[in-house]
Amino acid sequence: MGLNNFPEASAYLRLEDEDVDRRKMFVNLQSEDLLHIAVIKDVVGAHANELADEFFEFLSTLPETSLLFQEYGQLDEVKRLKRAHILAMVAGKYDREYVEQRVRLGLIYGKAGVAVRAFLGAFCRLMTSIGSLIAEFFHDDPRETFTHFASLEKLAFFDIGIICDVLIETRERVIAIEHTVTPVLQVRDSLLILPIVGVIDSLRAKQLTDTLLRAIRENRAKVVIIDITGVAAVDSRVANHIIQTVAASRLMGARVIVTGLSADVAQSIVTLGIDLGALHTVGDLEGGLEEAERLLGYTMIRSSSSSIER
Amino acid sequence: MVAILKQGAVLVVCVQSALNDRDLIELKDDLSDRVGRFRSRGVVIDISALDIVDSFAARTLRDISHMTRLRGAITFVVGIVPDVAFAMVELGLTLDGVDTALDLEDGLVQLAERAATNNNG
Repeated sequence: MGLNNFPEASAYLRLEDEDVDRRKMFVNLQSEDLLHIAVIKDVVGAHANELADEFFEFLSTLPETSLLFQEYGQLDEVKRLKRAHILAMVAGKYDREYVEQRVRLGLIYGKAGVAVRAFLGAFCRLMTSIGSLIAEFFHDDPRETFTHFASLEKLAFFDIGIICDVLIETRERVIAIEHTVTPVLQVRDSLLILPIVGVIDSLRAKQLTDTLLRAIRENRAKVVIIDITGVAAVDSRVANHIIQTVAASRLMGARVIVTGLSADVAQSIVTLGIDLGALHTVGDLEGGLEEAERLLGYTMIRSSSSSIER
Repeated sequence: MVAILKQGAVLVVCVQSALNDRDLIELKDDLSDRVGRFRSRGVVIDISALDIVDSFAARTLRDISHMTRLRGAITFVVGIVPDVAFAMVELGLTLDGVDTALDLEDGLVQLAERAATNNNG
């Protein structure tokens, strides 16, 4: 799972200028705050690397965040983004692009399943560290330290607001997918149909495969038809999920027929250069059923007496 | 750990616990010997007791399948449970070219069918 296949950040949050302004209003971020932040820009910026390292060093010790560190190469990317974040926090430019960067980081946390409480803890520690840097900078003058830190704190809450929104939204989407039921239907003895409708992402693909494999075992299925008429788009990831499902079913002794590849899907698969040679594909569900019945040794005969006039 | 039962022209191999690499090699040698000795026409390897199938195990199963085919017997690997199947696929161990079946019963039925078509053809 690469970091590049994010949905548009704006798909998660409304990112119009007025929304950004509203978020600033929530935390009362004023122009004098920007002046305060400009004063401490260099002292925080100089320590951005250490601060980011510290942030993740803490997160990495928690079981709540283990996924973030399991995915190969993910951590370096997140660290880089976090460093950029700390630098941006004191750069004085808090526009749509700034918000978009925050959303991006929030999406990574969300995908990795970082718990909100763990994230808040890490952010709190980060702010404490930054606070002591500021205190040191003002030679422990409490008044100055407080004013400047308070300005930065407004921004911190501004960021937290965004990231929490993203985390909540991500969680809700996961729940929505978990509630998308894909039934496995038995149509004949040892013949199953798995109609897939909607979007296939990694989480759903795993769930689908899991359901199918269990159904194969329970129903002692020999042939499975996966119908993807209702799948909007097939990219290389989706194709890969299908190929994996087919391979896993084969290991359990079931043959898989894939049906319902529309002309558009077929074209895009060819254009993308995905090799579906290992798959047994049939144009539509009807053809798939006929093929499956042939494999299972059924013959369908239309009886001469039909109750419906034709 | 592994029981090899002769049932007519079929050898039934029941793997009863996790196998290390040496056990697997032993199984391979043993099978190649017995297929010749008993003039078996089919082998069914039941691995439903295995929680993990690693790359070496997958390769050994493939080797056994190819080897027994050269000695005149068809091999079915049976009893791969859903979790194992999924893990194997994620590791790219798809056992290409190896016949698979749901369980021992299914494997024996398919072997019989295969033998029947071979005799008729």
